[in-house]
Amino acid sequence: MATTTTKTETFVGKRVRRREDPRLITGTATYVEDIQMPGMHYAVILRSPHAAARIRSIKAKQAEAAPGVVCVFTGKDTKGVGVVPCGIAMPDLRVPQHNILATDRVYFVGHPVAVVVARDRYLARDAAELIEVDYDILPAVADPEKALTKGAPAVHPQWPDNIAFTYHQDGGNVDKVFAEADVVVKQRIVSQRLVPMAMETRGVVAEWRGADRQLNLYTSTQIPHLVRTLVAGMLGLEENRTRVIAPEVGGGFGSKLNVYAEEALMGFVSMRIQKPVKWIESRRENFTCTTHGRGHVDYYEIAAKRDGTILGIKLKLIQDVGAYHQLLTPLIPQLSVLMMPGLYNTQNIRADIVGVFTNCVPTDAYRGAGRPEATHGIERMVDILAAELKMDPAQIRLKNFVTKDKFPYATATGLMYDSGDYAAPLKKALDLVGYVKLRQEQADLRKQGKYMGIGISTYGEICAIGPSPATPAGGWESATVKIEPSGKITILTGACPHGQGEETTFAQIAADELGVGLDDILVTRGDTAVVQYGIGTFGSRATAVGGTALYYALQDLKAKIKKFGAMLLESDDVTLVGGQVVCDKTGKAKPLREIAGASYRALKLPPNTEPGLIATRFWEPPNFTFPFGAHIVVTDIDSETGQIKVRRYVAVDDCGNILNPLIVDGQVHGGVAQGLGQALWEQAVYDDNGQLITGELTDYALPRAHLMPWIESHHTCTPSPVNPLGVKGVGEAGTIGCSPAVVNSAVDALSPLGVRHIDMPLTPEKIWKLLAKKN
Amino acid sequence: MKISGSYTLPVAPERAYQILQDPAILARAMPGCESLEKIGPDEYRMKMKVLLAALSGEFEGKMRIADQAPPTSFRLIVEGSGRIGFLKGDGLLKLAPAATVRVLSAAPSEPPETIVSYEGDAQVGGTMAAVGQRLIDGTSKMMIKKFFDKLASLATDQRDS
Amino acid sequence: MIAQKFEYTAPKSLDEALHLLSSGAKPLAGGMSLIPMMKLRLAVPEHLVDLRALKDLNYIREAGGQLHIGATASHYEIESSALLRQKCPLLTETAASIGDVQVRNMGTIGGSVAHADPAADYPAALAALEAKFVLKGAKAERTVSAADFFVDAFSTALQPGEILREVIVPIDDARTGTSYKKMVQPASGFAIVGVAARVRQNAGKVSFVRLGITGLSNHAYRATAAEKALEGKPATPNDIQNAAALVTQGVDANSDLHASADYRRHLAVVHAARAIGTAISRIA
Repeated sequence: MATTTTKTETFVGKRVRRREDPRLITGTATYVEDIQMPGMHYAVILRSPHAAARIRSIKAKQAEAAPGVVCVFTGKDTKGVGVVPCGIAMPDLRVPQHNILATDRVYFVGHPVAVVVARDRYLARDAAELIEVDYDILPAVADPEKALTKGAPAVHPQWPDNIAFTYHQDGGNVDKVFAEADVVVKQRIVSQRLVPMAMETRGVVAEWRGADRQLNLYTSTQIPHLVRTLVAGMLGLEENRTRVIAPEVGGGFGSKLNVYAEEALMGFVSMRIQKPVKWIESRRENFTCTTHGRGHVDYYEIAAKRDGTILGIKLKLIQDVGAYHQLLTPLIPQLSVLMMPGLYNTQNIRADIVGVFTNCVPTDAYRGAGRPEATHGIERMVDILAAELKMDPAQIRLKNFVTKDKFPYATATGLMYDSGDYAAPLKKALDLVGYVKLRQEQADLRKQGKYMGIGISTYGEICAIGPSPATPAGGWESATVKIEPSGKITILTGACPHGQGEETTFAQIAADELGVGLDDILVTRGDTAVVQYGIGTFGSRATAVGGTALYYALQDLKAKIKKFGAMLLESDDVTLVGGQVVCDKTGKAKPLREIAGASYRALKLPPNTEPGLIATRFWEPPNFTFPFGAHIVVTDIDSETGQIKVRRYVAVDDCGNILNPLIVDGQVHGGVAQGLGQALWEQAVYDDNGQLITGELTDYALPRAHLMPWIESHHTCTPSPVNPLGVKGVGEAGTIGCSPAVVNSAVDALSPLGVRHIDMPLTPEKIWKLLAKKN
Repeated sequence: MKISGSYTLPVAPERAYQILQDPAILARAMPGCESLEKIGPDEYRMKMKVLLAALSGEFEGKMRIADQAPPTSFRLIVEGSGRIGFLKGDGLLKLAPAATVRVLSAAPSEPPETIVSYEGDAQVGGTMAAVGQRLIDGTSKMMIKKFFDKLASLATDQRDS
Repeated sequence: MIAQKFEYTAPKSLDEALHLLSSGAKPLAGGMSLIPMMKLRLAVPEHLVDLRALKDLNYIREAGGQLHIGATASHYEIESSALLRQKCPLLTETAASIGDVQVRNMGTIGGSVAHADPAADYPAALAALEAKFVLKGAKAERTVSAADFFVDAFSTALQPGEILREVIVPIDDARTGTSYKKMVQPASGFAIVGVAARVRQNAGKVSFVRLGITGLSNHAYRATAAEKALEGKPATPNDIQNAAALVTQGVDANSDLHASADYRRHLAVVHAARAIGTAISRIA
């Protein structure tokens, strides 16, 4: 018989191996693509090859008659389906009608035009080629700055200026400090468009059960409950009869923090054909149709005193929106503005955002979502200021940090930084890297004509998103803990981990609270029919918000366990320890399984107590959390080829308390990989006609394992006062800290040539051109 | 994408100008050309089958000649599309007798030559554009070279006959 | 990413393969380029003949004072061959630099050179080695040199119905040093530019040098002007620099998203100098 192990061993803070890994490593996890159903059909979506065109006609007769084809739907058929939602409300936001299939016009390469449904995917794909679409090709614009110029093609004819929204934020007295400043430095900084590139592309299986008026929707998403609410709305279904399941999700990085046309489209198809239908996104579709990240052109100005004191910051931010707003598109650059002052003590900021429509796939959240762009901007600007003032980049940072006695610290952008000791990780990183010695080495190498650079980035971020008033759809998270009659424990989390490891960390939290072993605990997520409403996994929130909900549910449950234990032990003085309730006086104990059994058998109940052991909590965080850290990158530049080699990568991250150092390492490594990707290799390039010319992995340079440097990952620990776990979140830290450290390092290396800034990615050819200029 | 280059044809500019607009000759010289028919003054419809290593694609399109200034220059506008993508090209072809120095030093019996230089813009779209960036420059050069090689041999054949 | 319907045959003999190829089938020899193109429907062959099924094309052996490499020897087999490591290290070094582990396990030398990607790695080494290519048709067999084999981008001396049976490379004596230097395009792993050098010295002077260049233009070539410039010289850094500067002479450099023509030319010169230098340092 199954028994609950009782243990005094604790797990929080230890390098516990990930409990989700066996199924991932052995290839036995179930992704959307693995789902098979009797009678299932397959959908292939025909997409526009043009960035801008009017659709004169669509002829689908031949495709409909092709072998195995059940039907072909076009925009005419799906007119009754609601639009793809934008979740952001703001004044003057221009929201184009985003139909799930194009009707009279296409706006970007990859725009869905028709869907072919067939017995198998090969027949569907063959038939898609038989559809004749007559396009009247129109001029397109793919560059946000070009889109703002007079006479540029209008992405949406009703808005000839291509402006999607504007946003202004002002704090302190910017004009005054800029007028009084000893020095003002300015720089245009680009954060290029990136493709989030989850290893698992998107995919949907929709199963309509007509007799029950029920739609089951399997989709690769970070937010199953929000998808349920919104897709049910789009299809006019009852939310309680719409079940969304996120099975194993192979990465998201923000690109699956969305509601996509295909999710509603597959629901529509299944309802029409009365059969289950599957659509799996190809890598090519993933490149052209899943949201991209970044896409900023930033114009920065910093005002400072001659001693390096930063007085104020101005930012004009041009956000490449793409052709539509997806769920959070207009919010992302606002996160950049919130994070604009970084770790520095200045109360004077001014930001102007202009969101610009382009004939490209929409941008939206991508690992860090607005904060990497902001950190890249401020950390580059601080280095440029240091160069201007001939100051050491470490010293200028130490001089301007918000000091640790100032917390909680109210920023000019309206945030309340929870806790911090910003000098600590920088000092630790400087020690670890051997900064003083490195500067000497650099001076020696320079004499030999060699280029070595030391780049520092000190970042802050907004995590544990977030208090509900600050988020578009609720910022709380939910958790249910059930102790089954056998004493085994089931956790249902409203978060939706897809690589972050909460099946392990949540088990660690529960094991320690209840005094049981990890094997007694199962963490379940991602099924709206099983799990109470939840928000999902994004913004480094699952542990800090979802883990806290779990923590409080465990407290409720512990109280109830003690009541049952007290009843069974016939004593009021009991303690829950090591998986059993112990009588303080007699030392007699009742193990959890016996208590659980008694609570369900209910022969006798404690006063005012219901049978069973289950507790649910929805936790509303009072604030964000604000992790921070310092990354130092040492690079050597090949003076002949321009190739950059990362010699050292030192990361000192402060994410508050660490529940599992192994998982934190993994998050830092993955985050740094994606930061390096942006800094050195990746770019989504659209040509002047809106063709995505880095549309496959042969041209889009994703970071590969063999390209990764050794990452020396260290920490300082400043617990967050926002939640009882003291955690801050670490999912995005690596990405946010990385790119400015790399670019600062390269610019530092080339500073003897008068180089002040280089835009990403730092391709060898770019560096070679800078080197060649000198000769 | 910018395309530019030059090629020397072993005929005089007048003749070069003529063959560069002769549908029968063009059809034979263009790699993979399956048909080329005149559909209007200076406008042709064509079908091409491109076979390049494993890649194969059929294209249908139009070719238009504009800004005629015989025998020194004309503009060529090409548009084609097929299952694997589409392409548009617009270029200026300039014809000039081969360098004077050579002409002067050449034996009187040496045949005349024409340098055809071309400069233009090409747009590629569809799957080809997304996956073929690495290959577009090299293969377009190769196709142009094949075209002129064939044109030169056709021109010589005609001259000899 | 869904290929069109096609037929697949794994023939039992070379003759059967040749018969199928003569009736229009397309050879499959690893599929590292062909299969992705089929998934994108850039290639739509109706019939594939899998040459990797043929055991008699898969060998690496020494015979008649030369090394014979069967067409379906994988990059990994070449990279890890003890025979080649000892007698033709240039080829093992080149094979080891191809793509990634997965590609090296699946891809074959025959598949790679017959595809003739302008940025493939082998052609540089095979040009420098003055390799011979044995082409077999249904009726006859012929041998062509590397200089004649690589015709243009994706174009080789192979005629329809012919297959590449083997590649033959010479065995260099101990006084020969070789090296392959490559600038990697990080997305694809292909060479932006790759230079293979093969150098012999006699009495302190370069007595023999062969340089093969890939990636710069539409097909790999031997940089003969640079070779001539180095021959008979003591190979001082200056000599090497002067010779390397000639590797791009008369070459129409390609340009793409990853490297302009100017940068490619520059990289060819830099990598030529490095390959020569390393090759010389490796002379026993």
